[in-house]
Amino acid sequence: MPNVHNEKAINLTLSIVYGLVVLFIMSELTLIFTALLALLCAWNFTITLMKKPKPSTLYANILAALSLVLLLHDVGFGDTVTLFVAMLILSSLFKLLQAKTKKHYQTIVLLSFFSLSTVYLFSQSIIATLCVSILYVLNFAALALIENKHSLKIASKQSGKMLLLALPIAVFLLLFLPKMPAFWQLPGPKLAKTGLSESVNPFDIAKLSRSDELVFRAKLSINKPPAPPYYWRAIIHDEFDGTTWLVSDLLKSQQRNKTSVKDAPQFESQYNIIAEPSSKPWLYGIGQAYSTNSDVKSTEQGLLIRKRYLSNNINYEVKTSSFNDSLLNKINRYQNLTLGNSELNNVQSQQLALSLYKNSNNDSEFLTALTEHFSNQGFAYTLTPEPMTGGNTIDEFMFNNKRGFCGHYASAAAFMFRTVGIPARVVSGYLGGELNEQDEYLSVYQYDAHAWVEVFIKGKGWQIFDATAVVSPERLTGSLSQMQSLNNEFTNNLEFSLLRFNQIPGFNWLRLNLENLDYKWTNWVLGFDQQKQSSFLKRLFGNSQLWKISLFVILTIIIIFISYFVYLNWPKKAMLNEHLLATHYKEIQFWCAKNGFNQKANLTPLQYLNLAREHFTEKGSLFMQFAQLYSDVRYKGEEFTPQRKNHSYDLVKSIKTKAKRSL
Amino acid sequence: MHSTVTAIIDDLSQVIFGKKTQIKLALTCLFSQGHLLIEDLPGMGKTTLSHALASVLGLSYQRVQFTSDLLPSDILGASIFNSNEHTFTFHKGPVFSQVVLADEINRAGPKTQSALLEAMEEKQVSMDGDIYPLPTPFFVIATQNPLYQSGTYPLPESQLDRFMMRISLGFPPKKAERKLILGANNRDSDALPKRINFSQLIDIQSETKKVTISEPIVDYIIELVSYTRESGVFANPLSPRASIAMGKAAQAWAYIEGRDFVTPDDVQTVFKSVAAHRLGIDEQTSELQIKQLLNAVPVPL
Repeated sequence: MPNVHNEKAINLTLSIVYGLVVLFIMSELTLIFTALLALLCAWNFTITLMKKPKPSTLYANILAALSLVLLLHDVGFGDTVTLFVAMLILSSLFKLLQAKTKKHYQTIVLLSFFSLSTVYLFSQSIIATLCVSILYVLNFAALALIENKHSLKIASKQSGKMLLLALPIAVFLLLFLPKMPAFWQLPGPKLAKTGLSESVNPFDIAKLSRSDELVFRAKLSINKPPAPPYYWRAIIHDEFDGTTWLVSDLLKSQQRNKTSVKDAPQFESQYNIIAEPSSKPWLYGIGQAYSTNSDVKSTEQGLLIRKRYLSNNINYEVKTSSFNDSLLNKINRYQNLTLGNSELNNVQSQQLALSLYKNSNNDSEFLTALTEHFSNQGFAYTLTPEPMTGGNTIDEFMFNNKRGFCGHYASAAAFMFRTVGIPARVVSGYLGGELNEQDEYLSVYQYDAHAWVEVFIKGKGWQIFDATAVVSPERLTGSLSQMQSLNNEFTNNLEFSLLRFNQIPGFNWLRLNLENLDYKWTNWVLGFDQQKQSSFLKRLFGNSQLWKISLFVILTIIIIFISYFVYLNWPKKAMLNEHLLATHYKEIQFWCAKNGFNQKANLTPLQYLNLAREHFTEKGSLFMQFAQLYSDVRYKGEEFTPQRKNHSYDLVKSIKTKAKRSL
Repeated sequence: MHSTVTAIIDDLSQVIFGKKTQIKLALTCLFSQGHLLIEDLPGMGKTTLSHALASVLGLSYQRVQFTSDLLPSDILGASIFNSNEHTFTFHKGPVFSQVVLADEINRAGPKTQSALLEAMEEKQVSMDGDIYPLPTPFFVIATQNPLYQSGTYPLPESQLDRFMMRISLGFPPKKAERKLILGANNRDSDALPKRINFSQLIDIQSETKKVTISEPIVDYIIELVSYTRESGVFANPLSPRASIAMGKAAQAWAYIEGRDFVTPDDVQTVFKSVAAHRLGIDEQTSELQIKQLLNAVPVPL
């Protein structure tokens, strides 16, 4: 194409940029659709490299229509965010396939700024940020290539420099521009592929151990909770329907209605948690947790619930106290064994529980007896249990299979506690975490998901009963990833992840360091929320009004920009002592250009003035006089006397004003 | 004095029809004491122009037809044994004249070419340990055929540089050609009136030097020259000698135009003639390339 200088380079760059964007949001799309997008990138890449013509408009449009059908069928309207992101990328890619003129490319490059930013909807990690920044550089380079004859290398260098220049402004804005509450927010991200769910069917939650996604990080430096194991509670399941543990409507409504805990009880420990975005509002804490964060609701049961902004990281402070004993009157709900006909199921387990109970004098002894049962009867911990089906899954697990993981043990134990009338509930959350000793924080991943039982022992209150601990004690400290015995099973179970290479020493070091970097990124950048900022600003400005600070920040930015543009347009050194006549000549040129007299060619002043004289015939004499004056002073070397100076001023003025009259 | 210049131009226009610019450029070169190279196809009036120039300016004139077997001594002269006096006496060659027309200079071999070009630069001939100064003024007007013609030895860059300007006459306009066919021109350029004498020519040359060349013009020349050095477009960038020549030529052109100061337009007018052969651009393509160059360098205000 004659009017686009670097079409090849632009096409290749944009293909690569889009290819990488597709790679980033791959996990949000279905395989077929991802393949389609990748194919479009590859197509454009190949036809550019092989110098083949672009597909005809009709052909491309038919393909686009078909792809749209696939998009609607594949992604559907359920998740509008993903739908629109997919549509944006799809349309940009098709446009790229058909692009021919400068205008087309400009549109695509501008669109791809949006496409690039959509990556942040799904991931805000430091790696994603770095990669997207590089893509921004490439995109800016492509934009420059449309206008210039530069090579891609030079253009990228320049745009990289520009982005680096923008970095201080970004930091400044992040620190100082007061964060406003969002006017609107995206629907929660589609993260439900992993994560805890309100219903625990122990026989199908093994999936969680397949994900190495980060759930939250806990900074323990303030006032450490007592030694591990750390049971991070997230959800209490108080209702059993025979196979699955659920959150009862009663509990839900309690949690929905009001913040039951108004004042901080005596707390034993205090720590900070930075939770990643999640599709569910549950947050994490140890024991009876309580938080002062305004975005976090603390419930009577010591759970924490996120009030809004599920798609953001949240950084909150948690205080943990021992379980509240004053709620004795409410515990009978946890004795309720079943709903419906489940009393008829799992009879063997019920009998076992009753017989154990008969032999013990009190609840505590029953607890010990059950523990012993689990440890002596050949139970084993595994991440890949055989599937159990039917109505008597607990019996099957307790007597036949005896292999399972936390969910199985928790479910079975809670069932047996309730059989004998001891209040019990299944709690799901996370156990342990990977400790970073240098910065004293724990990283908890999805594969650390855990379920355990809380039993109410009279006189002692709620106690944690974790049958897993008996079967596999090493699970209690540290993270699942650090367990030697399960290592093979664990890594095989996991989807692709850096953890697979844990055995290679360098790799583990690298992984831990990357992890630490990401922690710092999350803590200092993503975690710099409204609260942190306002306390920071308060420390800096005292108790100024928010609008004053905003005004200050915006003014500063404006001043920075104005001074930058003044600097850009500041006459170069040689032009600093520019002759007054040269200035006047430029003014005249500017005026002429404004009035429709454009000269592309590089004319000498006298040629230009002569042409202008012919163009603006009604003030030809003025141009002639100026040309005379100019050549006298600039070329003939005559003195630029005050008279001549005034003459020049007058001429410029009358050239300009006469036009106004004629208009 | 300027009226004399106008008269000279008019006279020359009687001989070469419709080529006023080329005539003025040739005069520019001679007034600024530079040597002139005329490149064109055979039969375009190169020799006529140079002959006419010599006659009008009233200068002694010698023509040397360069051929492939021409020897340096054929131009410079030779020491010949005088049997009567038993001594060698130096017989001056055709180069000892005020205007030397080196016709078809690129038909001679390099040795002969450089003999002439040395004389041009030194304004003297050294032979057998003796130095024989050349007359003043000393002009060489060389003509050459385009290099693609057979039997030509291209002048090396170093020697091309010694020619202040290269001009080309080009085909005459139709009207002028009609006149030529009808035999209207006075081909006998010897019949041209001698307009000025030697001292007047010296006056003109010194007045040419007095033409004001102001700061913006110097800037412009420097910008142009450094563009050829820095843009990377040209294999042979312009030398300082070219810059000096450019200034002198612009002054002479302004003088011929009847001005006592140089404008950027003057620089632009003489630029091609001064620069093209030094940049190693063919006469055929120079028009466009020089135009691009002039467009690329902004005129200092």
